[in-house]
Amino acid sequence: MTSAASHPSKAHRWKFIIGGILFVAAVIIMVVSASQATAEFFMTVAELEGSNQNLEGQNLRVSGAVLGETISYDSGSGLLTFTIAHIPGEEKAIEALGGLETALNQAVNNPDNPRLNVRYAGPPPDMLRHEAQAILTGTLDANGVFMAEELLLKCPSRYEEALPEQVE
Amino acid sequence: MIPAFGYLTLAIGFLLAIYGFIMSLWGIIRRSRASIESARLALLLIFPLVTVSLVALLILLLDNRFDVAYVYSVTSRDMPNYLKLTALWGGQSGSLLFWSWLLAGFSLVFSLRRWRQDYHLLPWSLLVVFLILGFFFSLNVLVEIPFERFWHLSDGGRVMAVFRPGGAWPLMPQDGQGLNPLLRHPGMIWHPPALYLGFVGFIIPFALAISTLATGRRDRRWLEISQPWVLVAWVFLTLGLVLGMRWAYDVLGWGGYWGWDPVEVSALMPWLSGTAFLHTALLQQRGRGFRRWNLALIILTFSLVLFGTFMTRSGVLSSVHSFAGSDIGTSMFIFTAVTTLGSAGLLIYRWGGQRSTFTLEFTFSREVLTIFSNLVLLSILMVCFLGVVYPIFSELLTGTQITVGPAWYERITGPLLLLLVFLMGVCPLAAFSGAKLMKMDRWVAILVPLSLLIPILIWIFGGIRNFYVLISLWVAGLAGLVILSQYIRGVFIGRQRGKKDWFSALVLPFQVNRRRFGGLLVHFGVVLISVGIIGIEGLQQETQVALNVGEGVSLGRFEFVYDGLENSVQPGNQEIVKAVLMVTRDGKPYGFLYPRRQIFYNMGMAVTQPAVKSNLARDIYAILVDGDAGPQGPATFRFFINPLISWLWIGTGVLTLGTIIAVWPTRKNRFSRPF
Repeated sequence: MTSAASHPSKAHRWKFIIGGILFVAAVIIMVVSASQATAEFFMTVAELEGSNQNLEGQNLRVSGAVLGETISYDSGSGLLTFTIAHIPGEEKAIEALGGLETALNQAVNNPDNPRLNVRYAGPPPDMLRHEAQAILTGTLDANGVFMAEELLLKCPSRYEEALPEQVE
Repeated sequence: MIPAFGYLTLAIGFLLAIYGFIMSLWGIIRRSRASIESARLALLLIFPLVTVSLVALLILLLDNRFDVAYVYSVTSRDMPNYLKLTALWGGQSGSLLFWSWLLAGFSLVFSLRRWRQDYHLLPWSLLVVFLILGFFFSLNVLVEIPFERFWHLSDGGRVMAVFRPGGAWPLMPQDGQGLNPLLRHPGMIWHPPALYLGFVGFIIPFALAISTLATGRRDRRWLEISQPWVLVAWVFLTLGLVLGMRWAYDVLGWGGYWGWDPVEVSALMPWLSGTAFLHTALLQQRGRGFRRWNLALIILTFSLVLFGTFMTRSGVLSSVHSFAGSDIGTSMFIFTAVTTLGSAGLLIYRWGGQRSTFTLEFTFSREVLTIFSNLVLLSILMVCFLGVVYPIFSELLTGTQITVGPAWYERITGPLLLLLVFLMGVCPLAAFSGAKLMKMDRWVAILVPLSLLIPILIWIFGGIRNFYVLISLWVAGLAGLVILSQYIRGVFIGRQRGKKDWFSALVLPFQVNRRRFGGLLVHFGVVLISVGIIGIEGLQQETQVALNVGEGVSLGRFEFVYDGLENSVQPGNQEIVKAVLMVTRDGKPYGFLYPRRQIFYNMGMAVTQPAVKSNLARDIYAILVDGDAGPQGPATFRFFINPLISWLWIGTGVLTLGTIIAVWPTRKNRFSRPF
């Protein structure tokens, strides 16, 4: 035992260092392999349309404004389809347009905006409606239809109002 | 009057925090004990002042004072009183006030302890405490003010201000917006305060560590003083996390308890480093080195606490937790960065002076196993951090934002967490370095074969073929058996020492060595928690179907038959839709489930309330996904079978009990220590 010595014996110190490096290397390998298998590319509808990468099968995350009249649910097959219109991906760009509500409104009313057809196996969520923001996770099929595995919806809510409007 | 009064008491508290900061700084520079005592007195005043301010806000919340902007934004007339009280932490400025109040309370109790021979640690500790208090007060007094009211201006405009602007008259809305429906749940009572207590508690070990570094001391007194605080903070942090899981499980309705949401991950990070610190702190107290390591870990933990607060409170991330957007993001980020870099700089400056003389050998000893488990905990921490910043860095590096989700976290942390349970399990079999390692052989020979029976029995009788689940249950079983064997050994030694009745012998280990057996009980709780997690993660079954009245669907050995919907209109423009489901198991009646949806027409929002039938083996969990077609119309459901999940909650109870036993002050020399 060398517990009173002031320096660790070199051999043991090396064992600690090598052990640590091996372990950290194993963790890094796990991180890399998990990233390859599950990481999602966050893209806008316009980026998806303009991309010349082969994105088929890649995990994607897309956000867009829901077009109300395109929502259709077939209760027999349980398939939900709808179309989303491009909105900017960055918070700042949305703020520059005058906030989420305005950005969504502009997105659905501009016919030149890139659009994306979405298919989802499941019933329509409550918040799926005209001018809602849909955040979708899934993959692109060969026909350019987005096969969503996960649907997240956001509506610009009254929570964002700073001052009450309904009172006088 | 009340809003202005609440604001003024808070503002005086803020000024006193500045005073305290200056006085402690002066006391340090001039070595003036009088200045330090004066700073301490300031703390004595701050806590009552903030308490008055907090009570003022509570009165406003209970009293439907919708002219106060904060009250307007988080309460409404239809909310029960208990929810109005919890609305204190339901929004940005209120939760900051609550946080500052806890901070002031902890600081007060801390400053009131008998300092005597530890007086050298007091001045710098006070300085740190005042700096942090001052910062959080400044947010509440200058930026996020909970006492602002609505005013009509004479030119027709509207403003928010604490005090009446010239020529303005108050604006009194009839009703408030109400708390976000997702937060209207009893979980709101316990989850945020527990988490905050956990966060705030770490300020004391942090202040003591900075004090130790700044005064250039090399002893471990700071650890001894902070140990109970660390344990209390840690158990509250644990409870906060688990209560959040329970709440998500009961309300958010995706059949899970943990979604690797960035805010959840931010709260998990200080828990990971805090857990690592807890263990190496014990080693340092036994004289086993780790001097720099512990200082680094507590600085890391407190920085992560600030980072977690920044994440939850700044609204930089969109998640279930970002119900409050904010203007304080930048200042909080700067404060977090400055605190972290400042403390890290101090640590580096004192690095050479904090060198340990203890040396360790690379053997199967508790020290080495603890280092290894520290490494695993910190790896998980790094993975969590990477997951949170992944989108930001991928965008910087590749131009495309890449996000990682639950699947990513689970793949990496799953094996690491299992390794952690394994290390925790085998650790009691190892001796501290320097002792002979022989005692382990005999136990290994009994316990390892015994533990192997667990997956074999489950394979035969439970019908489970999932390899990962079997391995995981074996690891958890081994860990549990090792802990039990330690306890049983303690009981037998107690009986040999003349404890005739069994009850005394069963309790004796906890009386004689609270820390050790309390700690073992905490570990046993962790084993139970891991069993719950293995169950739901590895064996969960789910299905989603649309059913007509009278139709059913089977899942596993259960069948669910849909019996119709019941609608009821509630006060506050709400409606509850309740589905009736009859459940049978292997064809025999098992009971009824009533999953519900509560619709808030004011908010245009619906909240699902799952129905759960729970026992020790599994939860049967049903969600009404969709059903607006009237009482006899079709409805869509999701059904889950969540095996073993109850053990997650039970394990947390055991863990809490273990911590209480470990923290409970020991009456010295009452017993001789046979173990």
